[in-house]
Amino acid sequence: MKSGLRQTRSLGGNIFVYLMLIIFGAFFAFPLIFTINNAFKPLNEIFLFPPRLFVQQPVLSNFQDLFTIMSRSRITFSRYIFNTVFVTAAGTFGHIILASMGAYVVSKYNFPGSRFFFKVVVVTLLFSPHVLQIPQFLIMRTLGWVDTFTAVIVPAFAMPIGFFLLKQFMDTVPMSLIEAAKVDGAKELTIFWRIVMPTVKPAWLTVMVFSTQQLWNARAANFIFSEELKTLPYALSQIIGGGVQRAGVGAAVTLFIMIVPLVIFIGAQSNIIETMASSGIKE
Amino acid sequence: MSDKKDLGQQAFCEPETPIEWLETNAEDDYSGGLPETPVADTEVSVRVSSTPKKKGFIFRNYDKLDVTKKNAIAGYLFISPFIIGFLAFMLLPILESLRMVFSEVNINWDRGRYALEFVGLRNINYVFRENRDFNRLLFTELRNMALNVPAILVFSFFVSLVLNQKFKARGFVRSVFFLPVILSAGIMLGLETSNSLLRESQQLIQESNAMSSAITGVLEEILVSGGFMGDFVEYVLLVVNQIYNIALTSGMQIIIFLSGLQTISPSMFEASKIEGATAWESFWKITFPMISSLILVNLLYSIIDYFIRSDNSVMMEVTRLMSVDLKYDLSSAMAWSYFAIVIVVVGALSAIISRRVYYYE
Repeated sequence: MKSGLRQTRSLGGNIFVYLMLIIFGAFFAFPLIFTINNAFKPLNEIFLFPPRLFVQQPVLSNFQDLFTIMSRSRITFSRYIFNTVFVTAAGTFGHIILASMGAYVVSKYNFPGSRFFFKVVVVTLLFSPHVLQIPQFLIMRTLGWVDTFTAVIVPAFAMPIGFFLLKQFMDTVPMSLIEAAKVDGAKELTIFWRIVMPTVKPAWLTVMVFSTQQLWNARAANFIFSEELKTLPYALSQIIGGGVQRAGVGAAVTLFIMIVPLVIFIGAQSNIIETMASSGIKE
Repeated sequence: MSDKKDLGQQAFCEPETPIEWLETNAEDDYSGGLPETPVADTEVSVRVSSTPKKKGFIFRNYDKLDVTKKNAIAGYLFISPFIIGFLAFMLLPILESLRMVFSEVNINWDRGRYALEFVGLRNINYVFRENRDFNRLLFTELRNMALNVPAILVFSFFVSLVLNQKFKARGFVRSVFFLPVILSAGIMLGLETSNSLLRESQQLIQESNAMSSAITGVLEEILVSGGFMGDFVEYVLLVVNQIYNIALTSGMQIIIFLSGLQTISPSMFEASKIEGATAWESFWKITFPMISSLILVNLLYSIIDYFIRSDNSVMMEVTRLMSVDLKYDLSSAMAWSYFAIVIVVVGALSAIISRRVYYYE
């Protein structure tokens, strides 16, 4: 990005950048390396004390066990996977659309109540989901949504965190861009969809990563009771719940469930870089 | 009136007569701007009705309204889906728990309902004066927050600056830095605590922390004997001891800073370079002001994230009261007192900082 400055970076600067990347990268990669290694450890190595980071004799038995247990479950395992994928995709999509529509007008249209509403959203960011569980359940019951996907998907639309992040990013979109579109005769929806959304693509990709990660790990144990509607994390945590002899399977499960948010993030990440080149904010 | 409309549509259908179309259009606009209001009104309504029909009352008169009203209507239309969801699934539960603060909750287990009985400030009184842990925990957490959040901000800003440089395999390296967000929020906390994996990784982390504090302990002694010991040194050492926790909680902040850094136009840096600015100067005069709004965002995010993390000791006490003791009223009262204090902190900080934030227009 700073192409002008890059050429002036000295050899010392290069060494510094790479050194920092290695040190901090090691920090950040540590949990992942640990999880991957654990998944391939035989049972006797998992319980080794003091624990070792790297696996000595990698085996695939953990994954074999996991698939054996999966194939024996009463509900087909693909059903759990479908449930989670459906909930994640629908929830994330709706959240991005609704939150960015709201964030756009709060950021760019100064209508009465907009600032107040934003403040309310910021305040609700403070409320931990634990505290709201019981009232939320009662609302779901009143609506008759208990034991349906709606109970998980629709509340995800209104998560305040995405709204907050998107609003802050939309503040950086120059007003002149929107005015120019208006002068050219674009209607509000066109401006929103064709001008603002492409411009803040990094922002909603960030929100997408965040929301995917949250919904993918949602166990939804509060709202969903039918076995055939349960999500993947719930099914997997049941498998792990088998006790000490399932420790190896547990390590495999952790790796298994981590892969999807990781892949989505890596995909979004390359996209973020791509869009920045043609972001349109050039003044 | 209807003649004109027909003409306009006809002309629009026949692109081979562009001049005619232009003329009618120009006339339309011109008469629309004339001071004779009756004429202007009819002209405007013609123009609107010649655009696709089947629109409601508001839309039919939409173009007549002034900008403020237009903005208001568009604003409310855009935001209403979010507001509805937000009211139903966030605000309503929050208000319900606020009612619990001032009531005694009697749960009817057979019917799965509860009844609220108004008791005034009894629950609040319990939180501040009877519960033996709340005050102590609150002050510990506030102090830890004051120590951690600046460190998180500096750390994530620094890392995002480094990540914004050009180097090989940039996408991959950036992904590595986001790993803790993906890992910690869901899997590490979500799985059962009986899982031995969790315990082991925690042990490992604690061990590495113990190691680093041994190193800083020696450093501290050297500095003390050298007469260097100030509050600042103490703070730095404290941060170094916590560096692993800080690193793991700053993933989201790094992403926010990074996407902010990427929206800064490179032409600004080019211009400043041509004017003879050094990298250091262009950092403080361009990068820093351009990113300042995101510093505020990240500050709020970090504070809130710190306060509602499930391993925060006040949150643990709130959860314990609710799920172990089943005292929903006391738990709500404690949560609300806690949030009220946090809101005051967040409000004060954002009021101070938002004045210094620079918005680029």
